[in-house]
Order: sequence, then C-alpha cells, then structure tokens
Amino acid sequence: MIGARSIAEPTIKDTVINRIDPRAKILILISIVFVAVSLDNQKTMFLLFLTVLSGFVLAKMPAIKIKTLVILLVLLIWGTIYSQALFYSQLPRTVIFTIIRPEFPILGWLTGGGLFVYEEGFHHGAVQGLRSASILSLGLLMCWTTDSRDMLNGLVGLRVPYSVAFMVITAVRFLPIIITEVATVITVQRLRGFNPTKFGSGIIKTLLNILTPTLANCVRRTGTLAISIQSRAFRANPDRTSLKKLEFSDIDKIVVAVCVFTAISVVIMKLIYNMYTSGIYYTSGLRPVYAIAGGYL
Amino acid sequence: MKNRGFLLLILVLILQPVAAQAQQEDFKPEDMTTFIIQVPHGVEGNGLAVGNSTLSAYLFFESYYDGDMNVTVELDLPKGFVLHEASVHSFSLQTEYDDWYRLVDFYIPADTPCGTYNITAKAVVDVKGTKHTIVRTTQLKIASKKEVANKVSVSQLIVPSDEDGNGDPSHPLNTLVVQETSPALKKLLKVTDLKIEKEDLTSTYMGIKITNTGNSTIPVIVTYDILDTKTGEHVKAFKPDIMGMNADTLCYATVTLSPGSSSLISLPIYISQDAMGGDYLLRVKVKLTGSDWIAVTKDQKITAISRRWGPIITTFTASLLGLTALGFFFSRPREIMDRFKTRNLVMIALFGTVSFAAINLPMTILWELSHAIFGPFSFLFTGLFNEILLYMLITSLVVLIPKPGVISLFMTVRFLLGGFITGSFTPITFITLSVNAVILELLLYTAGITGKNPAPDNRFRMGILCGFADMASSYVSFSVWMVLYRLFYSDWYIAANILIDGFLYTFIGTWFGISLGNRLKKVAE
Repeated sequence: MIGARSIAEPTIKDTVINRIDPRAKILILISIVFVAVSLDNQKTMFLLFLTVLSGFVLAKMPAIKIKTLVILLVLLIWGTIYSQALFYSQLPRTVIFTIIRPEFPILGWLTGGGLFVYEEGFHHGAVQGLRSASILSLGLLMCWTTDSRDMLNGLVGLRVPYSVAFMVITAVRFLPIIITEVATVITVQRLRGFNPTKFGSGIIKTLLNILTPTLANCVRRTGTLAISIQSRAFRANPDRTSLKKLEFSDIDKIVVAVCVFTAISVVIMKLIYNMYTSGIYYTSGLRPVYAIAGGYL
Repeated sequence: MKNRGFLLLILVLILQPVAAQAQQEDFKPEDMTTFIIQVPHGVEGNGLAVGNSTLSAYLFFESYYDGDMNVTVELDLPKGFVLHEASVHSFSLQTEYDDWYRLVDFYIPADTPCGTYNITAKAVVDVKGTKHTIVRTTQLKIASKKEVANKVSVSQLIVPSDEDGNGDPSHPLNTLVVQETSPALKKLLKVTDLKIEKEDLTSTYMGIKITNTGNSTIPVIVTYDILDTKTGEHVKAFKPDIMGMNADTLCYATVTLSPGSSSLISLPIYISQDAMGGDYLLRVKVKLTGSDWIAVTKDQKITAISRRWGPIITTFTASLLGLTALGFFFSRPREIMDRFKTRNLVMIALFGTVSFAAINLPMTILWELSHAIFGPFSFLFTGLFNEILLYMLITSLVVLIPKPGVISLFMTVRFLLGGFITGSFTPITFITLSVNAVILELLLYTAGITGKNPAPDNRFRMGILCGFADMASSYVSFSVWMVLYRLFYSDWYIAANILIDGFLYTFIGTWFGISLGNRLKKVAE
C-alpha cells in the first residue's frame, strides 16, 4: 500500500532538476502541457513522454516514488485504453467482444445500438494515454522536486496574490493534521460499527459521520488561527517581503525560453495546420509549416 | 381582255405540274436530310464493346425539306447480335427541321468472336411517291476484356477536387472533412470547401483522370465506392440516400474516351453527418458502357477527419471563460480578497484541505484504479466522492460563508493544492474547475443564495442550481477531453454521466451539505 505521504512529500536533493527555480518549473510545466495537448504524432508524443521520464532519472528519484509513478501511469494508461476500446468511433474498427448486444432489452436501446470492445480502440487509447501520462509525470516531477514553500514563493513571484498563496500555504500546512484527523474519525466510526465501504445510503451516512467532526474541528480552529495571523500583521501592508528571494539562473532562463518558444511554435503550427485541414485558411507560403505539422507534430 | 385572262389561266395550268415535278427532281437526300447512327450511343466514329453487353444504337433522322416525307429506317445488325425490339421503324416528317430519333437496344452475346463488325442503318425516304435510299454504316469493335483492360486506365485520383475535377492545394490530399452542419454553425463558421447541399449532407468532389491508350473510342461509365478498409464493406454514410434515391443514381459519370486521350471528370461525394472519421478505401470503378463488367478499378486510401464543432466551440468558450475569470481576479486581487475576513480565508483554506484530503488524495489512486477496473462505468463509483462529498463541502461552506467568490476561492485552493501535491496542473482541471466556479457563483448569486441578503437554507433550490451547474461543467469536461485529449465518448455515455454524476449525485450532496452546514454553523457560533 502506497502511503499518502509518499505521494505527497517532495524529495529534496541537490540535482539539476531540484535546482531549477520554482517559477521556471511552473512555466516549463505550462509550456509542456501546451505541447502535449497540441501533439498528434505518435512518435513525437512518445519522445515527449520519454523526455519527461528522463527528468526522474536526473532528479535521482527514490524507488518508492518511481514505484508510485509506475502504478499511476499504468492505471492511467489502462483506464484510457479501457474507455477508448469501448467508445472508439473511427473506421475501421473491429469488434473483438460484445458487452451489450444491440437487441438486448432496454440497454441495447439506451446504448444506441449496443456496447462493444474494439480492437483499434486499444491502440488509440494507448497513444492518447501518452498525452495524459506526460502531463501527469511532469506534474509529479515538479511537485516531487520542489518544496511546497518554494512553489508558493514561485507563485507569488508569478504575481499570484499573496492572500491566495497564504490560503494554499495554510492548506498545505494543515494537510497532514487533517489527514490524521480523517483517519482517526474513520477508525472511530469503524469501532462504532459503521462500514465505510458499504454502498448506497451507508456511504452517505459514513461521509456525514466523517465530515461533521472533521469540519467542526476546522471551524473551531479557524477562529484561533485567524486571530493568530492577524496579530502577526497579516494583510497589514500591500507588499510583502520574503525571507528567501527567488532568482532565475542563466540555465533557468535558457530552459524557460526554449520551452516557451517551443510551446508557442508548436501551438501556432498546429493551429495553422488545423485551419488548413478544415479549409479555414490556406496560403502556399505556409507549405513548410503544413509539412512539419503534418509529418512530425 | 377576255382573251388575256383565258391565256393566263392556261399558262398557270401548264406551269404548275412542271414546277412540281422540278421540285421533286431537285430533292437531294444527302443535302436535305441528316441521318446519323451511333453505336453505342454517344460514340462518334467506331465504337468498342465486349461480349455480354447490352448497347443502344442511336438513330437520328432530320429533314430540311419543306414538305411531307415518309421514312422507313432499318437497322441491320451483324449475325449473332440480338435485337431487343423491331429493326424497322417508319415515321413521317412534315416540315423543315422536323426530326426523329430512337435508341435501339441490342445484346452482344458473350461468345461473340472478337473483331470489327459493320452495323448498317438504311433509311428509305418517300417524297411524293419517289423513294430515295440513304445508307449509313458504322463499325463496332468487339474486343476481349483483357484488351480493353490494357487500354483503359485511371491515371490519377484527386480527392478532394473542385467541381471540374481539378485538385486544390488549399486542401490536404486524400482527406475528407466530416463537419457538423447545424444552421447556427453554418452561419458562424463558413469554414469549409464542402458545399452544404441539404440540412444533413455535405458534399465535395473527386477528380478522376482516365486514359485511353487504344485506337478505338471507348465509352465508359465511372463510379466509385467508399469501403471499410478491413471488411471491404460499403460505408453507407458516404453514399447516403438523397431525396429517397440511392446515391448511386447521382454518383456516376459517362465518358467517351477518344483514342489516345485522357479525360478528367469529377464525381460528387456526399457525406452524411453521422460519418465517422478514420481511414477508408476509395475504389473507383470503370465499366464499359452496356456491360456490368468492371474494366478497371483503382484503389486509394483516404482519410476522413471528423470535425465536431460543438465540443470545439464549447472547449474554446470554456477556456475563454476560465481565462477571463482569471484575468478578472488578477486585475483586482486586493478588491476581491478584501471582501473576505481573515477568518473566512482560513476557513476556505481548511475546507480546501479537507476536500483535498477526503477527495483528491484517495481519488489519486481510486480514480485510476476504478477506471482500470470498471472502465467508463467508474463514474458511478467515483461520483460518490467527486460529486456527493464535494458538494457536501461546497454547500456547507456556502452556508457558513454566503458571499460571492467563496466558491471560486475554494476551487482555487483545490486546484493549486492538487497541482503542488499530486502534480495535477492540467488544462482539464483548470477549465473544468473555473467553469464550475463561474457558473455556480453566477447561479447562486442570481438566485439570492449568496449576496447581500443570503438565503442558503432552501435545500431543493440549492440542489437544483448546483445540479445544473455541475451538469454544465460535466459537459464542458467531456468536451475538453474530446478536443484536447482526442478521446471518444458515446452520446449516451455523456448523457448518463451528466444526469447521474452531474445532477443526481450533486443534488444528493447539496441536500446533505445544507444539513452539514447548519450543524457547523452551530459550532461556529
């Protein structure tokens, strides 16, 4: 069983990845997300996925994290494959298994002519799963190599209002406490005879019984915490100083510039290509762009 | 005077028969008529056919004579050819430019030896009792199938093309675009080369270049099929019924190929809206006129791109809405944040933490696990957390802090927390959460649940509003998955998800959330 802590806590080491400025990481993540969403070429998508995975090697990620990553990726890709095998709607498609026959009473009609497992859907799901896998892997790499405080500093550095950053800091700080509280309440409920996994109204009862004491504690804590932080001049001044100043290194600047430039280029090229394929806009001068976008992106 | 009149009368009586005889003697059949035979119909010169064909001989007769004539036309076919009707036709032509034509069907048996056959048509023209004969002869070459197949070829296929069959570089080769054609979209977009013929059909053209390398004129019929590449079956969506007729009745062309020439023809391709994207096999078939035998086939792989503008526009609008909301927040952060007391901010943050601990963290594994086990039906299980539990938290938070903006801040905390701890900084999370927040805020504010005189206690009203908001955001979420992640979902599945997960579970969560909020209110007091 993978513990919640092993998923949540960052691994702070002195590696190339760890040293990247949190703001740079956020910008890189956003850029790569745009690239991942724009790509259609299978080989390029796989290359992007491998590139992201290589970050884990560079970050010298511990085995438990790699194991977590692998489990999440396998489940994610399999989930996509599963759904696409059922809903694949391109031709050709080969039925390899029938779940609901078209003539099956009610369900056959409800599903608009039955439900089948299509061979081609497996392949499509695997390819499209790479997209989500790349985004998930990069997100995990970012949060596993960055201290949450640095990440919030990074957000503030990217002009996220401090009040919002403060709320997130509070949430992060109280997360272990609340997880423990939720676990305690569940144990107590179990001891009282509730079965949290019981389906139907049992689940709602269980949820209410877990949420009520947990949230009641939060509400009680709110007053104390608010007085405490107000006494430390929270929101007294419009600008806030920071103990740790974030600074972009030259490498950060180059990496961010490359990523942002790549993302903008890829998005624009794909946009131009899609306008061409849809008959919206074409000009012969853009033929090299059509060739690159059609062949590699 | 009397003598003069008498002489004139005699002169007229003498001259009239002479003039009439002169006119009759002046009738030159070749100059004063046109008599044409074409075998098969449409071929000027010598035609070509194969055995086991049914052809039509075209007979045409026109008069340039200003008077009556009776004509008898007789068609003389070579031995072995089977005429389907009478070989002799008689008719009368009364005036100048009066004409007559007839298509005379005949059959060439399969065992007819190859060779060149003479076909003769004889017209006997009776003008005032005098008969004139006009004879026309044409040749029909009966060739072997192998010989024809070697002479005719499809040298080029251009898909899509313009109405004349010429290729257009502004459209990708071998690609058809299947687009939605709802009236609103048609007005809005005007984006396609596909001309909209009917409400539910779009069409484009394909250009077919056919070459005849032989010495005979070859009449052919060109048609096509769009087939499933695996099963080889016809795909009906590309040849739908048009005005109750089979599309085959519209999708063909007849061409007469002159010796040593090439012809470029165009054929329409009709695409119904339910056509699926993917790879297809375009099979062009060339038949000799009069025969079912396919002389030449040419296959080409084509790709249909399915453009469903509904999800694309939804995704675009939702992204714009999310970015606008973000821009609005970033443009006046202090103004917005100062509306909340520090106590409110702390409470929202803690609710965000609880939602993360109770929903996001377990769902990190459970979501994927349930997807892997239950596949697309996992929403029935994950909805218990994602919808019931989430809306219990949202509603109880609104009961505690009934201010506009509280849901947006709660969603922001969830999004950032999810991003920092589980790396879920994804466009889908951003778009879905922002749309959900904006719609909820708008609906709750408009209904008076949040605002100056808040009334968050009506369970039913709150449940309905949250249900509708979540239905909208669920639809947006599916659209984003389909557009940005290129995934497919059936309409029934989306509908089931929106109704059960989006409305029912949300309604239940909201219903119990108000009880929870009221209980927490007592704690807060």
